[in-house]
Amino acid sequence: MSELRIEATINGRKVKRTAQPHQRLLDFLRDDLHLTGAKEGCGAGECGTCSVFVDGVLKKSCLVPVGKAQGTNIETVESLAMGNDLSVLQQAFHKAGASQCGYCIPGMVMAATAAMRANPFAGREEIKERLGGNICRCTGYQKIIDAVELARDVQNGRLPISALAELDQEDGKFIGANIRRLDAPSKVSGALKYAADMTMPNMLHLQVLRSPHPHARIVSIDTSQAEAMDGVEGVITCADVPGEDGFGVFVHDQPIMARDKVRYVGEAVAAVASEDPVIARRALEKIKVVYEPLPALFDIDAAMAKDAPVLHDYAPDNVTKHIPIRVGDIEQGFAESDLVIEETYSTQAIEHAYLEPEAGLAYVDPDGVVTVISPSQNITHHRHMLSKIIAQPINKVRFIMSPVGGGFGGKEDMIYQGMLALMAMKTRRPVRLVFTREESIASTAKRHPSRTVLKMGLMSDGRIRALQLNMICDGGAYGLSSEGVMRKAAILGAGPYNIPHLRVDTLALYTNNTPSGAFRSFGALQTQFATETTLDMAAERLGLDPFEIRRVNAMRNGATTHTKQKLKSVSLLRVLEAAAKGSNWEAGIPTSRGDTRTDMGGEGLRPACTLGARFETIEATEPQSEVA
Amino acid sequence: MLHCDTYLTPASLDEAFDAMAAHQGRCRIVAGATDLLPWAREGRAGDVSIPVLIDITRIPEMNERRIDDKRVRLGAATPIQRFLDGPSLGRALPGMPRCAVWFADDQIRESATVGGNIVNASPAGDCIPPLIAHEAEVELAAKRDGKIVRRRMKLDQFVRGPSRTAIEEGELLTAFECDALAGYGGSFEKVGHRRSLVISVACIAALVKLDDSGRGFEDVRLAIAGVGPVPQRLSDVEEFLRAAPISQERLEQAAEMPVARVQSRTRQAYRREVLRGFVMRGLINALRRAGAGPEILAPELEASYV
Ligand SMILES: Cc1cc2nc3c(=O)[nH]c(=O)nc-3n(C[C@H](O)[C@H](O)[C@H](O)COP(=O)(O)OP(=O)(O)OC[C@H]3O[C@@H](n4cnc5c(N)ncnc54)[C@H](O)[C@@H]3O)c2cc1C
Ligand code: FES
Ligand code: FES
Repeated sequence: MSELRIEATINGRKVKRTAQPHQRLLDFLRDDLHLTGAKEGCGAGECGTCSVFVDGVLKKSCLVPVGKAQGTNIETVESLAMGNDLSVLQQAFHKAGASQCGYCIPGMVMAATAAMRANPFAGREEIKERLGGNICRCTGYQKIIDAVELARDVQNGRLPISALAELDQEDGKFIGANIRRLDAPSKVSGALKYAADMTMPNMLHLQVLRSPHPHARIVSIDTSQAEAMDGVEGVITCADVPGEDGFGVFVHDQPIMARDKVRYVGEAVAAVASEDPVIARRALEKIKVVYEPLPALFDIDAAMAKDAPVLHDYAPDNVTKHIPIRVGDIEQGFAESDLVIEETYSTQAIEHAYLEPEAGLAYVDPDGVVTVISPSQNITHHRHMLSKIIAQPINKVRFIMSPVGGGFGGKEDMIYQGMLALMAMKTRRPVRLVFTREESIASTAKRHPSRTVLKMGLMSDGRIRALQLNMICDGGAYGLSSEGVMRKAAILGAGPYNIPHLRVDTLALYTNNTPSGAFRSFGALQTQFATETTLDMAAERLGLDPFEIRRVNAMRNGATTHTKQKLKSVSLLRVLEAAAKGSNWEAGIPTSRGDTRTDMGGEGLRPACTLGARFETIEATEPQSEVA
Repeated sequence: MLHCDTYLTPASLDEAFDAMAAHQGRCRIVAGATDLLPWAREGRAGDVSIPVLIDITRIPEMNERRIDDKRVRLGAATPIQRFLDGPSLGRALPGMPRCAVWFADDQIRESATVGGNIVNASPAGDCIPPLIAHEAEVELAAKRDGKIVRRRMKLDQFVRGPSRTAIEEGELLTAFECDALAGYGGSFEKVGHRRSLVISVACIAALVKLDDSGRGFEDVRLAIAGVGPVPQRLSDVEEFLRAAPISQERLEQAAEMPVARVQSRTRQAYRREVLRGFVMRGLINALRRAGAGPEILAPELEASYV
């Protein structure tokens, strides 16, 4: 190994350091210089959280070998706000509300800075194009682009500097008022520390060995060679769990690390800690696991088949949860209907793709309190579960929630915090684990893939008489939030409509796919997709306007839901009205449109995306000003 | 992750060849690293150990740029973004700026090199079709018996198949040379899942020169990628259009011709449909940029394809 000598100017300071030749510029900045404003969202050039200027040119530092930094001038997001003053762009991001979880924001600010340096007069299309390499999963792009336009106009003197100032605010009024986020400055400046940005003295890095099999019996795990490796400070498996091993939002069916069996590809089997993550990764290769592959279930039909392999002993029929709802007499409802429609709908697994991959830091504090810092969406529940798992009283377990770089439900599960706690207890040193993007996708929950058979009976005026909904979901290898998702799917699936006869069944099954779990809208998306699509078809068959058919059935103030909840106020009619207006809806049956559409191209609608807004600027550039 | 023990940054071709000889079989060339680093990740090659990485981007010759009336010579380490710096390179190589603007994003383009794109020889490599349309030749160099020897080859001969090229052990791609085609209108059309950061499902490059009357084609050059294992020149279509008057009928006939070439394993029907519309759009855009006005090319025709 020949170390690299890196001499560079970083944020205006001369830096002379040795670096490991395999490091990327991102590692060098984050791990060696503790400049954590640049983040690792993907490690593959796709997301833009890692952008830094190298000799004035913005680059994705996850794809820059550190050797390329030699002799360069590097600017990170930390250089933009000098002293306490945010740059104009950063202030504009703050003012425009362009930061939600904030994980993408330092990169966005850098890309916006680059765009404004390249063309201080860039129009909205050109700004979009120049920010094209940066992904945001929560703010959305409108506010971000608004912010860049605001900054541009202030910089060019078209707007006064006061346009960046605090918004006018009515005294004491917050609800309905446009107020600035208190935490935005920490996000736009890159100062906020997410779990992967945190370090502690003497800290170890954790790496996880994951199952290559969808379903297999673990015959043996031999960690001796890994443990004997120089630099390895600890190895853990399920054998290190002192208490009752099991977590899950409802049923506690998932062990911290696979016990006796693996049930999906990517399931944690063992973990290694070392001061050097490269050593920890190499040690994983030295762990010998003998598997005996078992027949696996990859879809719901296989899971329901007679004599299907059983994934969990407690659930011999592979059913994670079944939620039934019965109202009225469904057969009578269909008999009374003028029109009956029956259709099958399916939806796929969806990854949350929050920009912050899972990360956590655990340590045992001087009083023996096992402490886990992570972007968990459910710290209190995690604390209770971990206390049982590590057989410690609740006052010896502490969870600290770090800023969540996007969760959307995907960070409700205690997928890795248990491993961190066990390793911190075993080594008595702080331990940090940072998932790669690939690990995050492979091992954490997805939206439930579903198949819904929906039968709807309607009167000729559009009123729904009967609705029968049967949804079966692929819950994957473990329960996680499946039970809650099935409940919500059942409760909300028939929509905000008055329906006298109802029969709803939602069912989650165990399979050997990646576990399904919580995801924004929590099951309602899958069932309502079926209900709403059927309503559109019904409108077509009955010759009704799709908005009208919904109005006819809408619950109104004082309605009672299918599960007997009294609703004081129902906003559906207002929502429909706003949607019709916003979409320039042409009233009529869905098939009634002529050749020309008046609903397209109006206010609020925009043409399809294209690229090339910059060519006008390029053509106007004088050739002699080009850099050779 | 990509692991290495040594990272070398030679300052000259000579140094690079000496390093390659000293570490033969244990080294890999790095240019922008935008293919290399994502390749060494989970789900693709996984963890990869290469003892020695040799970064060629600081070799002056690799960053060369020479433009005259007939030919353009560019070093292999030219980043894609250079085609978007200003008008002059784009005027000489009208096939490249639109390709560049659809290539990855502004940041990747600052690292990603044309040479890396060519040597990587992905069926979705965006630079290859426009360069083929410009009659590009690649220059390969090696050090034999202490002397640097060079050979040249047409780009469409160099790319042999997916990830396969004619480069030999010990050789470097040093430069490429193309026809300078000032006065041509150029277009590049790409089908992918989104706008930025997207690998081509299919792409086409079109270069068109109008005749003196402005009503006919003087020259046409077309190349496509993503419809077969290697990018290809559409010589039959070029022949069909060359010296012909510009008309909707002729364009539509031309767009029909390459459809039979679609050989890719997946989504054949989709790719054929795309290709037809694509060739149309490529030709229309190139014609417009070559100077064809609304009297030659009806705006309605443009509206239905562009
Ligand atoms: C987010 C993202 C988006 C992308 N989008 C696109 C896109 O839109 N279109 C597209 O075509 N590609 C795209 N790519 C792929 C990649 O950026 C290009 O193929 C790029 O041109 C590769 O060049 P490089 O200099 O980075 O190559 P490197 O990764 O450095 O090298 C690639 C290969 O070529 C070899 N090599 C490089 N230079 C030489 C040389 N001079 N002589 C001999 N061998 C050499 C290397 O050894 C290696 O095997 C994308 C990549 C990423 C990460
Ligand atoms: S682009 Fe570098 S981390 Fe995503
Ligand atoms: S604010 Fe952009 S990813 Fe969360």
